[in-house]
Amino acid sequence: MERLPRGRHGLPRQFVIQNQRERLLAALAECLYKRGYESTTVAAIGKCAAVSKSDFYKHFESKEDCFLAAYEDSVARVRREVLAACDRRQRWESRVLGALEALLDLFAAEPALARLLLVEGLRAGRGVYDRYQDALQSFVPYLRDGAPTPADGAPPPPETDEAVVGGVAALLARRALADELEQLPNFLPQIGEFVLTPYLGAAEARRIISDR
Amino acid sequence: MDAIAELSAERGYEATKIGDIVSRAGVARKTLYDNFEGKEDVFLAAFDSAVDEVVGRIEERCDEAGEEWEERLQAGLAALLAYVAEQPAMARMCMVEAMSATPAATRHYEEAVQRFVAMTRASVPHYEQLPETIEETLVGGVAWIVHQNLRRGEAEKAEGLLGELSEFVLAPYRAVAAAR
Repeated sequence: MERLPRGRHGLPRQFVIQNQRERLLAALAECLYKRGYESTTVAAIGKCAAVSKSDFYKHFESKEDCFLAAYEDSVARVRREVLAACDRRQRWESRVLGALEALLDLFAAEPALARLLLVEGLRAGRGVYDRYQDALQSFVPYLRDGAPTPADGAPPPPETDEAVVGGVAALLARRALADELEQLPNFLPQIGEFVLTPYLGAAEARRIISDR
Repeated sequence: MDAIAELSAERGYEATKIGDIVSRAGVARKTLYDNFEGKEDVFLAAFDSAVDEVVGRIEERCDEAGEEWEERLQAGLAALLAYVAEQPAMARMCMVEAMSATPAATRHYEEAVQRFVAMTRASVPHYEQLPETIEETLVGGVAWIVHQNLRRGEAEKAEGLLGELSEFVLAPYRAVAAAR
């Protein structure tokens, strides 16, 4: 994020404050990605954002507080992009695959965001870790909403939705840890098939993926 | 090691101090430092020994179950869930707290996941119709269900998840087999 010009620039105070806050949050993700949670100190975040330490404390009480804000922002951002990709589509399977594609593309393009959400950010204390667990669970109702049952079988057991979300998250976290996020979009067919299979049956899931 | 499992399950890794561990375990601080380098070392040793224990129990139950792969897989899952019900604090430390503790804990967690993925892969039939990452996502899914169970403090009900989790893990393989 661009820092503002020095000295008298005539920009409204509110704008300056908002810009500083956004720079700090972006800097946090960047620092975290480059040096890991333990070395991401208030001083390092401030330096990367070009915001003084005293200005940092005008926005956040502590490093943990800044992490929680960055985490909330990132979760909201992922949710926005993923849900926007669902909204344009009618059929359940198109919505699910659209959402997955948006998620994989976003994490591939912004590895710092993925590492904040899935790996390093989790070490920032109980508050953030709780937020991670809740955020993951919050995708479950979207998956369940409008999900069909396989033509040739019984509906999947109730835990399936959670297990599917958890399975995808585990795969993403492992790629983030191995620094292989740029390859994520290549995994869309495999992950898509895993997600669709319990609801549509294996044959139908494969057909939909290969037609795509 | 049991003390750190109980404490980190109760209050999280970060809030667990060396002083709490020694007083819970009823040992002298010096005894702890004779055996471990510090808190992280205790945590990692407890983690590794719990994973070894679970893997050992799973292998044992699988062998008792015989040759048939579906039976073996279900027996393995049953062994995992029985461990969770029996050792909820240790299970919670390994499956919930380890992900958020330290970089080394994250690595140990990842290595454990790799072991479980490899074990699953070694026991299921190989179908080219299934995605290459199928076992990775299935293991991740099972781990998340158990994680949620532990987080809700319902470890004693873990064994009740066997039917649904078996169904979840077996379904992709059964579907391919049925289509043949």
